Amino acid sequence: MAFIDARALPDASRIEADLIIVGGGLAGIALARELAGGSLKVALLESGGREIDMDNQALYAGSATVRAPDNADRPLNDYPAQSRIRALGGSGHVWGGKCAPLDPADFVQRDWAPHSGWPMSREQLQPFYDRACDLLGIPRFGPDTPVLRDPARKPLDLDPQDGFFPAPRYFSKISGGADRAAFDAFRTDFANAPNITVYLHANVTQVRLAQKGDKVEGLDVACLGGKRHTARARTYVLATGGIENARLMLASNTVHPEGVGNRYDLVGRFFQGHVTYAMDGDAETEGSAVHVARAGSMALYVPPGRAQPHCVIGSGLTGQTRMKTGNFTLTLYNGGPPGSGTPTQAETRVIRQAATRLDAGKDEGQLLGCFAMTEHFPNPDSRITLDMADLDPLGMPRIKLDWVYSKADWDSFERTTAAIGDALGASGQGRLCWPVQRTDYVAISSASRHHMGTTRMHADPKQGVVDADCRVHGAANLYVAGSSVFPTSGIANPTLTLLALTLRLADHLKLKMGAAR
Amino acid sequence: MTLLARRDLLAALLALTVSASLPTAARAVEPAVAFDDLDRAAIERIGKAWLEQNPGANAKALAMRLFPGGPNVGTLADLRRRAASDFRQGAVFIHRGWRLSQTEGALFGLLALGSAA
Repeated sequence: MAFIDARALPDASRIEADLIIVGGGLAGIALARELAGGSLKVALLESGGREIDMDNQALYAGSATVRAPDNADRPLNDYPAQSRIRALGGSGHVWGGKCAPLDPADFVQRDWAPHSGWPMSREQLQPFYDRACDLLGIPRFGPDTPVLRDPARKPLDLDPQDGFFPAPRYFSKISGGADRAAFDAFRTDFANAPNITVYLHANVTQVRLAQKGDKVEGLDVACLGGKRHTARARTYVLATGGIENARLMLASNTVHPEGVGNRYDLVGRFFQGHVTYAMDGDAETEGSAVHVARAGSMALYVPPGRAQPHCVIGSGLTGQTRMKTGNFTLTLYNGGPPGSGTPTQAETRVIRQAATRLDAGKDEGQLLGCFAMTEHFPNPDSRITLDMADLDPLGMPRIKLDWVYSKADWDSFERTTAAIGDALGASGQGRLCWPVQRTDYVAISSASRHHMGTTRMHADPKQGVVDADCRVHGAANLYVAGSSVFPTSGIANPTLTLLALTLRLADHLKLKMGAAR
Repeated sequence: MTLLARRDLLAALLALTVSASLPTAARAVEPAVAFDDLDRAAIERIGKAWLEQNPGANAKALAMRLFPGGPNVGTLADLRRRAASDFRQGAVFIHRGWRLSQTEGALFGLLALGSAA
């Protein structure tokens, strides 16, 4: 098994390969797996070791602040270091395994959503989604996907004209939190191939461009402890995550002062994150909730156990177009039996009883907790910059994340929550309780570990960092893998999409590098 | 409270108890008994909240609004259609975050006026 600890190499070693993958997270590993056994000599450079180590993890440290209209700034300075894992397998170590494709609407250029649109459609990406599902051992997504065909799991009977639909979610075992043995095999067995070498503790600190600035001629590699190496290949793929890809490109400024691929000042901009919004209730105050008129099973939305296939309520293109909104999901969960001892609880009960009877339901229906997610529209002011005065132990400038929302985000969110409430009521399926004020959004939000958009994909170099093949505009042999290339972020957990794009990239590289089998 | 409003209030209470899930016999119970499971104090608070947003509403007007054809076997279905129409038009009453139709709000308002009578 070709694993090499870069710290054990003689100082100033030179790593050579046909293709170098920078980053051994799920994207980098998926790419290496696709190339394993082929004719290309592949080197994968991973910053961390096999397991999580806090010294490596500290290399992620930086600062972060969430900013939004009508809300107080919210510092999230622990977020950069706590939201990713710097070890072989990357954030797969802590990934919950949840998989969903982006919706067809996410790929569409929507006139009301500036900077929206992908250079491909969902239909064009579907074959790669299918392969990504196979890789992760989950059912493929489509109209016939099993969870939607289970007669025991009936969807809410919402009027299709409202544009809300059941959006499936599956869970992969290929995650450190689900099936450790399966995850370990996924992140290591590809290295048995004779054409693959994995270098651990190998931090890339500089992407060195040729003097003309139009292609990469090498990488600087640094180890904690002091050793420095170089790496050279015909082609390079950055797969270090949605923050670190941008950090490395911005910090690689020896030829172009603005960094690699940053001629139009786009690298690091358009950061998009996923957050969940929910209001916790108690005996005296309402929490975010859905009252469902039906007494029958809601197992399609609220599965009997954790990590079970289920659906969220999604918002499709029909509704988005009508409402001029972004994507949105509402996730339902069992919040436990409702109380009735306080005035608030008594009012809730009466509201539910009256609604149920009006909706021709049974008994008191069901009271479920809910949280919402709303699309973070691409925003150039939401960005990663470098703090040149604050360097990590390898000499890399630390990042400063300004995670910025606009009025359009909140307007879209409020229109959609109102619309799902109206859709539930109009169809006699239930009622929504959403006791959240605009001024509360940032305070009640919980950030997911999803970082998107900082090296966005667009055919036009003035609008994107990478092209439709994920190649960096203006750098002939440099590619980016991972969620940093997403032009828009939708709502879906990004792993399945970033893997689909990585498999697509693998096909492209095989063809381009003459390694197609 | 006028005789008309009192009669229509009873119709409203009865409508609230008529559910497809209830056996036929249950539809014939005395309205007061059938309404026992709804918390009167809670109804009154919700109804007052709606009335505060709709000053000038009185029992007669609300009864006419909710039951323009008078009480009949279609009362519940009529209310359901009105509520659905409200949601479609965004005519909603938000109470502590609960997004309800104006029809539901008016019903609570009428019931609150009935409690106060």
